[in-house]
Amino acid sequence: MFDEKDLLIEARHVTRRFPTNDGRLLTACNDVNLKFYKGKTLGIVGESGCGKSTFMRFMVWLDTPTEGEIFFHGKDITKMKGAELHENRQHIQMVFQDPSTSFNPKMKIKEIVCEPLLNFNRISSSEVDAKARELLELVELPGDFADRYPHNMSGGQRQRVAIARAIALEPEFIVMDEATSALDVSVQKTVIELITRLQREKNIAIGFIAHDLGLIESFAHQVAVMYLGNIVEVMPGEGLSDICCHPYSRALLNSVFDLKMDFSQKIKAIEGEPPSPLDLPQGCPFSNRCPDCVDDCHHTKPTLTEVAPGHLVACHCCAR
Amino acid sequence: MSLLEIKDVDISYGKNLTVKKVSMSLEKGEICSIVGESGSGKTTVIRAAMGLLPGGGRVSAGSITYDGMDLLGLTHEQWRELRGHDISMIFQDSGAMMNQTRLIGDSYVEYIRTHEDISKEDAWAKGIEMIERMRLPDGDRIMRSYPFQLSGGQRQRVGIAMGMTYQPKLLLADEPTSALDVTTQAQIVRQFMELRDEYGTSIIIVTHNLGVAAYMGDKIVVMKHGEVVDRGEREYILHESTNPYTKLLLDAVPTLGGKRYV
Repeated sequence: MFDEKDLLIEARHVTRRFPTNDGRLLTACNDVNLKFYKGKTLGIVGESGCGKSTFMRFMVWLDTPTEGEIFFHGKDITKMKGAELHENRQHIQMVFQDPSTSFNPKMKIKEIVCEPLLNFNRISSSEVDAKARELLELVELPGDFADRYPHNMSGGQRQRVAIARAIALEPEFIVMDEATSALDVSVQKTVIELITRLQREKNIAIGFIAHDLGLIESFAHQVAVMYLGNIVEVMPGEGLSDICCHPYSRALLNSVFDLKMDFSQKIKAIEGEPPSPLDLPQGCPFSNRCPDCVDDCHHTKPTLTEVAPGHLVACHCCAR
Repeated sequence: MSLLEIKDVDISYGKNLTVKKVSMSLEKGEICSIVGESGSGKTTVIRAAMGLLPGGGRVSAGSITYDGMDLLGLTHEQWRELRGHDISMIFQDSGAMMNQTRLIGDSYVEYIRTHEDISKEDAWAKGIEMIERMRLPDGDRIMRSYPFQLSGGQRQRVGIAMGMTYQPKLLLADEPTSALDVTTQAQIVRQFMELRDEYGTSIIIVTHNLGVAAYMGDKIVVMKHGEVVDRGEREYILHESTNPYTKLLLDAVPTLGGKRYV
């Protein structure tokens, strides 16, 4: 679906297991294969605890996978160390969910946005004022904010500062972990507009974690749905609501309260909660909640199968 | 006569007037959604109706009547009778309202025995019955758990079970689904709708999720900077209202198959 020469990051068979106190293993990510392309957004959706943040944290070296490789420009980033790792950090940046806790409260905004630049000796300390103004204006904030402290700003403004900090090094890839879920809808809209504009201008690849399918559909080029550490569906973002076919994706979609929905209909929510990742069901991870579950689902785990160009599904029923 | 009538209410913290001239009324069995951005005063309004304004906050003008009774003049004793019995509140995270070092069952039994003269065993059984009615399997296990051992959705169901124990006529819900996943949110919203259908409970839901507000609310009240800027039946707010702020909010909600930015 995308041009393979624009391939930027490729995760191959990435698995992460955490040992628990009683000696068992918790599988947070199970054999995840995903590709990120230049200038494109990959949205990852799923319920809390499905492993979407765990996976994205590998990209910024906040954690390393137990198994598997992540290739960035043909090099496995999970094996990088020392100077090479330091050098590569500037190409991949991150925006966190809660803008009120992702800054040092005692640093001024100009120090916050320019810290990455100073770390990599891109500017000298005498240039901080001018550069901070420039970066703030890029994210549509007044340049005077440079001398403020984070607590003097609203949530939306702080998230813009977080974006300014992330783009300061002109990275090729930005991870956004629920970057808009702490914001009001009207603010969320302007932040999404900002992100997509910067992406167009600077050709940045974005990995965006969300749980709102309506939001992700509005700006992602591809969307991956995760459930219990497994990717269950990968599809193009455009027209997602018409093409998604995995029962879990459909369940997520049916749970969205849309302004255009028929309010007289009962909302179709799937029952129950995901099973504990400590004892995964045999076969399909979704089998115990799935409305279309067949006998096969309890025994064999479905693998991702291509049903249309750029559309992969791991489901016994859909693949047929 | 309306079940709840809020009339020209001003609420101030110290000298700061935070909520200005808010009026709304709620009939029996009706659901009203209050929407607005953070800091618009929507939570403050329902806290005032519950007599639970945090320290320093007070209703400085106007009146709030419930079933013909003036709520602002109630004594502590009268409030205790009313709260949890006639009027209940569900918070954003029901786990946080419980004592973290006590079993859920112990908190629940204490709550029941405050309102009713029954034995601990009977109160425990009543707790289990209510929890299971909220579609939580194995009520006894839930009663024997600590709040932090349950998932967000389970905690919220326990909160609703507690709030519904005495089948209150009025339920005030403050962002009850904001901390939940979309699938759990849908389950909880469905539960609220069933409460109304089964018991005729009137509900005021405060939320910033316009989708939820529109799905649940017969009426919608839009607040901004402590004032009501728009109000009306759901259909009016969604399709006919000409208020620029309402339109701005509605326009910002991402819809499936709607506008794409790329």
